[in-house]
Amino acid sequence: MWRRALLAIAMAPAVWAQDSALALLAERCAKCHSGSAALSGFDLSTRTGLLKGGKHGSAVTPGDPASSRLFQWVSEGKMPPDARLTEPQIQSIRAWIESGAAWTGPEKLQVEAKRAGRDWWALQTPQRPEVPAAASNPVDFFVLSKLRAHGLEQAPVADHRTLIRRLSFDLMGLPPTPEQMSEPYEKAVERLLASPHYGERWGRYWLDVVRFGETDGGEHNFERFSAWRYRDYVIDAFNRDKPYNQFIREQLAGDAIYPDNPGLVAATGFLVAGPWDSVSAELNKDLAMKAAARQDELDDMLTTTFASFQGLTLNCARCHDHKFDPIPTRDYYRIAALFNGSGFGKREVATGAERTARETAAAPVRAELNEVRARLDEIEGAVRSRLLIEKYSAFDAARAKEAKRIPVNPLWNRNAFAPVTAKRFRMVVVSSGKDAPLVRRLDLLPGGTVARDWRGAEAASADRPAILTLNFAEPRTVSEIRWASEAAIKVYRFEWSVDGERWTTLCSSLDHVAGSELDLPDLPEAELLSALSPPLREERKRLLSARVAAQARYDAIPALTAIHAVNPHSTTPAYVLDRGNVQKRGEEVAPGALSAIGQISCDLPSTATDSERRLALADWIASPNNPLTARVIVNRIWYYHFGTGIVNTPSDFGFNGDRPSHPELLDYLANAFVEHGWSVKWLHRLILTSRTYRQSATFNEKAHSIDAGNRLLWRMPLKRMDAETLRDSILFAAGSLNQKTGGPGFLLQKKGDRGSYIYSAVDNDGPEVWRRAVYRFVVRGGDRIMLDSFDCPDPSVATPQRSLSNTPVQALTLMNNAFVLRQAGILAARIGSDPDPIRRASHILFQREPSAAEIATGLRFLKDQPLAAYLRALLNSNEFVYVP
Amino acid sequence: MSPNRITSPTRRQLLWEAGGGLAGIALASLMQESAEGATHFPVKAKRVIFIFLPGGLSHVDTFDYKPRLAAHHGQETKGENTITPFFGKRGTVMKSPWAFRQHGQSGKWVSDLLPHLAGRVDDLTFVHSMTTRSNAHGPAIFQMSTGFVFQGFPSVGSWISYGLGSENANLPAFVVLPDPRGLPPCGVANWGNGFLPAAHQGVIFGDERMPIADLNPPSAVSPSTQAATYDLLTELNERHLRDNPGEDQLVSRIRAYELAARMQVSAPEVTSIAGENERTREMYGLNDPVTRSYGYNCLLARRLIEKGVRAVQLYNGGHFGTPRINWDAHEDLVANHTKLAAGMDKPTAALLLDLKQRGLLDETLVVWTTEFGRLPISEGLGEGGRDHNPEGFTSFLAGAGLKHGFSYGATDEMGYRAAENPVTIYDFHATILRLLGIDHTRLTYYHNGLKRRLTDVHGRVLEHLLS
Repeated sequence: MWRRALLAIAMAPAVWAQDSALALLAERCAKCHSGSAALSGFDLSTRTGLLKGGKHGSAVTPGDPASSRLFQWVSEGKMPPDARLTEPQIQSIRAWIESGAAWTGPEKLQVEAKRAGRDWWALQTPQRPEVPAAASNPVDFFVLSKLRAHGLEQAPVADHRTLIRRLSFDLMGLPPTPEQMSEPYEKAVERLLASPHYGERWGRYWLDVVRFGETDGGEHNFERFSAWRYRDYVIDAFNRDKPYNQFIREQLAGDAIYPDNPGLVAATGFLVAGPWDSVSAELNKDLAMKAAARQDELDDMLTTTFASFQGLTLNCARCHDHKFDPIPTRDYYRIAALFNGSGFGKREVATGAERTARETAAAPVRAELNEVRARLDEIEGAVRSRLLIEKYSAFDAARAKEAKRIPVNPLWNRNAFAPVTAKRFRMVVVSSGKDAPLVRRLDLLPGGTVARDWRGAEAASADRPAILTLNFAEPRTVSEIRWASEAAIKVYRFEWSVDGERWTTLCSSLDHVAGSELDLPDLPEAELLSALSPPLREERKRLLSARVAAQARYDAIPALTAIHAVNPHSTTPAYVLDRGNVQKRGEEVAPGALSAIGQISCDLPSTATDSERRLALADWIASPNNPLTARVIVNRIWYYHFGTGIVNTPSDFGFNGDRPSHPELLDYLANAFVEHGWSVKWLHRLILTSRTYRQSATFNEKAHSIDAGNRLLWRMPLKRMDAETLRDSILFAAGSLNQKTGGPGFLLQKKGDRGSYIYSAVDNDGPEVWRRAVYRFVVRGGDRIMLDSFDCPDPSVATPQRSLSNTPVQALTLMNNAFVLRQAGILAARIGSDPDPIRRASHILFQREPSAAEIATGLRFLKDQPLAAYLRALLNSNEFVYVP
Repeated sequence: MSPNRITSPTRRQLLWEAGGGLAGIALASLMQESAEGATHFPVKAKRVIFIFLPGGLSHVDTFDYKPRLAAHHGQETKGENTITPFFGKRGTVMKSPWAFRQHGQSGKWVSDLLPHLAGRVDDLTFVHSMTTRSNAHGPAIFQMSTGFVFQGFPSVGSWISYGLGSENANLPAFVVLPDPRGLPPCGVANWGNGFLPAAHQGVIFGDERMPIADLNPPSAVSPSTQAATYDLLTELNERHLRDNPGEDQLVSRIRAYELAARMQVSAPEVTSIAGENERTREMYGLNDPVTRSYGYNCLLARRLIEKGVRAVQLYNGGHFGTPRINWDAHEDLVANHTKLAAGMDKPTAALLLDLKQRGLLDETLVVWTTEFGRLPISEGLGEGGRDHNPEGFTSFLAGAGLKHGFSYGATDEMGYRAAENPVTIYDFHATILRLLGIDHTRLTYYHNGLKRRLTDVHGRVLEHLLS
C-alpha cells in the first residue's frame, strides 16, 4: 500500500511526504529495524518506536531534520548499509521530518522481515481456531476452506481398492493380502493401527529423524552391538501408542526416571544414536583436539534434540547469535551445559536382584583369581622389579646428563626438588587406569628404599586417590624421589606435612615431560625364568594355567545387560565459547533452555547433576505450554501421511524453514493432540477418516497450474515406495517375509578382518535376512546396498525428509540385483502351479484383476520366457513402485 | 530465500534426476538472476580428476624441501615449537631419508622418492601451506572429501555433479576408482551424496567385466530373456502411463530405465582398454605388477574424462589394518613410502603427461592431495616413523586456468606449520569450484534449516594460483 503511495502525485504535499517516507522506511529500513529483534534496539515500525529511538539515542526530532539522526545517517549514506538512498528519497525523508513526521494510516508498517524475532509465529502459543459444529471432520474444514479460496475443489473419493492399498502401505509399509481387500475402510484402519507392523513402519520414520545408526562411523567405525534396543524401544512406543510427552521424557531422561529398567534406559539411546568420533575422544593425545571433539559431541546431542522435538536449528548459534532465529549464542551454551554430563559408551543396567545374583556367582571365582595372582606376585614380583629397574636405570642414567625428567612410566621415575626436612611424607596417586596402583619400590634420596610392593585398595581417581603415607620417627631431609610401579600410575603428587593435616606438594607428575610415552621392552620370559629357582618355576607354571582356567570360568558368568545408551558422568562448568573455540572461554553460564520461549522456563543451578539437567529439559520440552513441541510432531505425522507437510521443513520451524500452508489447521491439531493425551494413534484416526485423505490421486491440470506442489491438497499424491517399503513388499509378495520382530539386526554389510574398519556388502540370503528392513544392522558409511540407491539415507545426519529420486542406478539395481531375481524366482515357484499365474500375480502385486490386454501381453511373453522373468518385470513396473 | 524442497520439482529437474545429469540444472536455476551465462565465472576446467592418497603422505619427504631438517636432525622440539603428536610419542627432528634435487625449468626441489612426478613439475601448481582441522584420520579425510569434519556431508564430486551435471547421460556424472587393495578409510562416505539427491552419489567402477554394480544380471539370465523383460517392462509402464496422464515422475522413471540400458553398453566400452596401444600401456605401468592396478585406474580416469564424465575420484591407498596399505607411515617411513610411491609415481605422471599430450589438460583439472602431512620429528625416540601433521602439508593442482610450475605458500623452516599464506580446505575447495566456473558461495542446497555449501561459511579463492 505504501508502495502504491510512491506513485501518487496528486496528493497534498504533506501527505505525499508522509506516504513516501513511510514507504521508504518499510522497504529499506524496517527489515532490520522492526519487532522485538530490531537491530540496535531501534524499532521504527511504529511511531512510538520511531520517536523512542534505539541504542544510539533518539532518531527523529519532528520538525528538525538537521538534528534527527535518521536524516543525518541516510544523507551521509551511513544507512541503509546495502545501498545509499537516492537524492529525491533523502529529500522526501527531510520533507517529512520537517513537516512534523506525521504518521496517519496503519499504526504499524508492513514489513517483510529478514529474520525471526521473539514474535516469530512458531514461538507463539497455538491459537484455538473455531470449527463449525456442522463440520464432519475438522481436517476437511480447514483444507477445503483454503482450496475454495483458491477456486479449487478436492479430487473425488478414491475407490475402495485404492484406499485399502493406500492404508496398508501407509500404516504398515506392506501391501494388503487379496483377502483384506473387501474389508470395510474403518475396520481396516483399526486392524492396521493394531498391527505390530504399524510400529515397524512409523518407528522407522522416527529413526530417520534421530539419525539412528549402529556403528560409530568415522575411521574406526566400531559396531554398537546393543544399539538395537533403542530401535526396539521406538517401535514398541509407536505400537503401544505411548503418549508423546512420555516418549520425549524417556528418550531424554529414561535412565534418570527408570534406572533399573533396561528397556527404558535404552530409550536414551536417542542422545547417542548419532556418529561418534571414538578416535578423537579416546586415542588423541592432543588435548585441544580432544576438547574440540567433545564439544562436537555436545553439539550433536543438542542439535538432534532441538531439531527432532522443537524444529529448531540450534547449531547455527554455536559461533554467533543465530542469524535467522532468535537464539543467542548464550542460549546455545546454556543448552550445551544441559548435556555436559552426558557421554557416549555402553552402560550396565540391572535390577538389584540381578546384580546380587551375578555377584554371588562371581565372588568366589574372583577370590580364587586374586589368590593365584597374589602367589604369582610373590614368586616373580620382586625378581621382575629388580630386573626391570636395572634395565631402566641404565636408560635413565644415559639421559641424566640432559637434566630432563622422563615421562611418568611404569618402571623407574625420578623427580627432584629443593630439599625439605620433615617426618611426614606421602605419595598421592590420583589416576591409575582401571587397576589399583602398585608401587614396587620407593626410594627417598638421600637415603634409600622406604617402601616396597605397596598396593592401593582400588583404582585411584581424583575423587578417591590412593595414598602411600610415610611417617618417620626422626626428621629426614629429602631432595629427590625415585620410584618404580610396574602398574599404570598416571598422575601422582609427592607431599610433605608437619602436622599430617595440611600437606604441601613437593613434586608431581606435572614435572615430568607431558604427553609422551616411552616404549620400553617388557622383560623377556626367558630372562625372568632364569632368575627363578626350578621349584618356583614349576609352581609358576601351574599357577599360570590355573589362572587361565579361573579366568575362563569368570568370563563365562553371564554379564549384566550392557546397552548402548547415554553414559552419565560428572558435570563441568560451562562457558560461552568465542566463535565456538574451546580454547577461548567467555562468560560462565548455568544450564538452561531457550530464552525466546517465554511461556515456560528451565533454569538450573550449575550444581545440578546430569540427570537433573536432562530431566528438566525433558519436562520443559514435554510441557503442554511449549509452543513448538505439539506443532512439530503433528506436522511430522501429517507429512508422512501426505508426503507434504503443513510446514514442509519438518525439522525447521525457524525463519529459513517453510511457512505453514494451513496455520489454523496446524494450531488446531496441536491443541487437540495435547487434549487427547498426546496420542499419535488418535491423530492418525482423525487424518485417516478425513475426506482429504480419502480423495483419489487423479491429476488435475487446472489445480496443477495453480498449485503444482499440491500444498493445498487438491488430490492425494502418487507416492514412490521408500527403500524399506520396496524391499519389504517384494519379500511379502514372494511369501518370503520373515515376520520375526525385535532383537539384534541382520547383516547386509560385514566388517573386514585384519583390523579393517570397512564394511563390505555381503549377499546373505535366507530367512534371517528376509526380515523387515527396519531390523537391518545399520552401518554408517558401509558399502553400497540396494537400499542406498533408493534414497535410504546414511544415518550420519538426520533425515527428516528423504529424497525420492529416479536414477539409472536404481533401475539397474531393481532389474539386476540378485536379491530381486531370487525373490522373483520364489514368487514364480509359489504361483507356478496356479492355473492362471497371470491373474494370480496381478492379485498379489496389484490387488486387482488384470485387463484383457495385460493377459494377452503376459501370455505372449510366457510362450518363450519363464514366469520368473515376467514377475521380475512386474516388480520393476511403475505400478508396483508407485502407490496412489 | 525459500528452501528448495518447497518449490515443486519442475519437469526439467525430474528429467535431470533421471539422467544423472543432462545439464547443470542446479546452476542453471541458481543462475536465473545473473546474466553471465551457464556458470558464475568463465569455465577454466570442464572436468576434474581427484587423486587422493589416504593415510597422510609426508610433504617433507616429497615436494616440500626442508634442508634445515638435516641441521637439526636428532634434536628435540622445545618451547612453543614443542610438537604434540597424535599418538603422543614425541621423538626428535628427523631429516628426510631421501635426497632432493631441482627439476624442470621451474627448478622445483623434489625428493628422489618421486622421479616420475619430478619430471612433470613444470605443469604443476603446488600449495605448500595446506592446513586441516583435525589430526585424526577420520575427520581430516572427511574434511578433504566433503568440506566438513563430520560424516554425512555431500562429497566434492557430488557437489560438482549437482552443480554441473554430466556431459554424457550414458555414464554417471561422478565416478570413483578405489585402490584395488581396498576402499579408503571411512569407505563410501567419501563419495556419498549426503543430503543431495541420490543421483549425485559417486558410482564405483570396478573391473572390466562388471564396471558398475548390478550393471548386468547374473549369468543365469539369458540375453534373450533380459531383452524380452526390458520390452515387457516398457510395455507395462507405457500402458500405466496412459492410464495416469500428467505424472512427471512416471515419465522420469521410464526414462531412467532407458538410460540404464544405454549405460549397459557405454560402461563396458569405456572400461575396456583393448584399443590402447603398447606405448600407452607401458607409460601407465600396465606391464609391471607394482604399478599395474593403479595404472589401469589412471588410464581409466583419462578414458572417463574423454567421455565427458564430470568428476573422477582416484585413490592410491586403502583402509587401515595390517599390513599397511596406505601412506600412514607411523612405524617405518622408508619402507612404507618407498613401497607406496613405487606404485603411485609412474602412473600419476603418465596420466598428467597423457592428458597434456592429448590436449585434455587444457580443459581438465587434476587435484592431487592427502588428508594431512607428517611431522618433521620421528614418532618415538630413535624410531623411523612420522606421526600426523595437520598444521602444514602439500597438495598440487594441474591443468586449466592455473599458473604452471608455480608454488604457493610455505611451511616454517622445519616443515611443521604453514607459515606463509596458510590455506584451509575451504580455500582449496573454493578454488577448485572457481576453476570449474562456480562461485562457492552460490552453490547451495537447503538442508535442516540451512542453505548448505561445500565451504560451510568459509573459504576464499586462491587468486594467486590462477593464470
